[in-house]
Amino acid sequence: MKHPEVTTELHVIARAPFTLYYEGPATSLSATNKVGQFDILPGHADFFSVLNPGEIVIETGGEPVSFTINNGILTVRDNQAMLFVNM
Amino acid sequence: MRRPSAIEKEAGQIETVQDLTGVFESLASTQVAKVKSKVELSKEFFRLLWQRYSSIRVDPAVRITNRELGDEQARKVLVIISAEAGLSGDIDIRLIETMQQNYDPKTTDIIVLGSHGASMLTQRGIPYVRFFQVPESDSYIDVSPVIEAVLPYTQIIVYYEEYVSLGVQNIKTIDLISSLRDMSEEASEDAMTAAETIFEPSINEIADQMEITMMNLALSQTILESSLAQAASRFNAMAVAKKRAGELLGDYQLEFHRAKRAQSDRQLREVMTTLKKKHKRQGELI
Repeated sequence: MKHPEVTTELHVIARAPFTLYYEGPATSLSATNKVGQFDILPGHADFFSVLNPGEIVIETGGEPVSFTINNGILTVRDNQAMLFVNM
Repeated sequence: MRRPSAIEKEAGQIETVQDLTGVFESLASTQVAKVKSKVELSKEFFRLLWQRYSSIRVDPAVRITNRELGDEQARKVLVIISAEAGLSGDIDIRLIETMQQNYDPKTTDIIVLGSHGASMLTQRGIPYVRFFQVPESDSYIDVSPVIEAVLPYTQIIVYYEEYVSLGVQNIKTIDLISSLRDMSEEASEDAMTAAETIFEPSINEIADQMEITMMNLALSQTILESSLAQAASRFNAMAVAKKRAGELLGDYQLEFHRAKRAQSDRQLREVMTTLKKKHKRQGELI
């Protein structure tokens, strides 16, 4: 399994078809899938998941960004997390 | 010649029509701007999601064509995306006429989106198996009932309206499954393999979910594109109607001035005749 270099920042893009919820650096991202609740931290292994309905929380170092989703897909690759939600 | 007051009354009505078409024209213009920005955002969303989907290297065409087919196994379906209401110029008529060229009732069923298209099909005696209202596009477009209805068919052809520019809108068709296959072949993203990636809950469940999501999005794109083309067509129709009303108003104003002048001339002639008669009578008396 590929492990990216140790880093303190994750780049997150979170969007719905007509809405950009967040794009920028983050310290963590929390969501829920069929397996349970999970957090993505900087340096996380490559990841591909179907998300359950619920709340997404992105810790940005300042004010956290949170929003509710009906459905979603999360992919993490090379320390970049892409959230596609409410499709 | 008609009375000026009657002409003035009719001109007032034309002026109201001109004002109304102006309002519709302005509304259509706002709608074009609003939907255009949504189309751009949605296209970008689809592109990014497709990149990630293609990275898991599951051929969507194979998965979709391997699905369990219903009773309609040998049949194909034409999905027509029309406007929910009229006042869209001639674009829906062109849509139906284009569809008719490839329609064979023996092998094909029709599913129609939009009340305008449904009523035009009924007027032409063309049967359809399902009707759906055009989903609202304010937040996101839920096309899952439509996808559920089309999945049992072997071929899914979507007829929709494409916005080229404010002045030009075309009728387009896509084969929903083939278009997904073509996009899959163009995939450029590096593969995400099970050896390097954690798939939750599993790669197969993800692929199933993604497949339906991509079909939903592809269909949503055509609905949005149609909505944009309809708004542009409405704008054109209203601009033409406003221009015609303006020309008609000009004609009425000309007719009004002529009638007014004729009335004034007639009154003057009557005064002159009366005066002449009066002078004549006075002369006779003297």
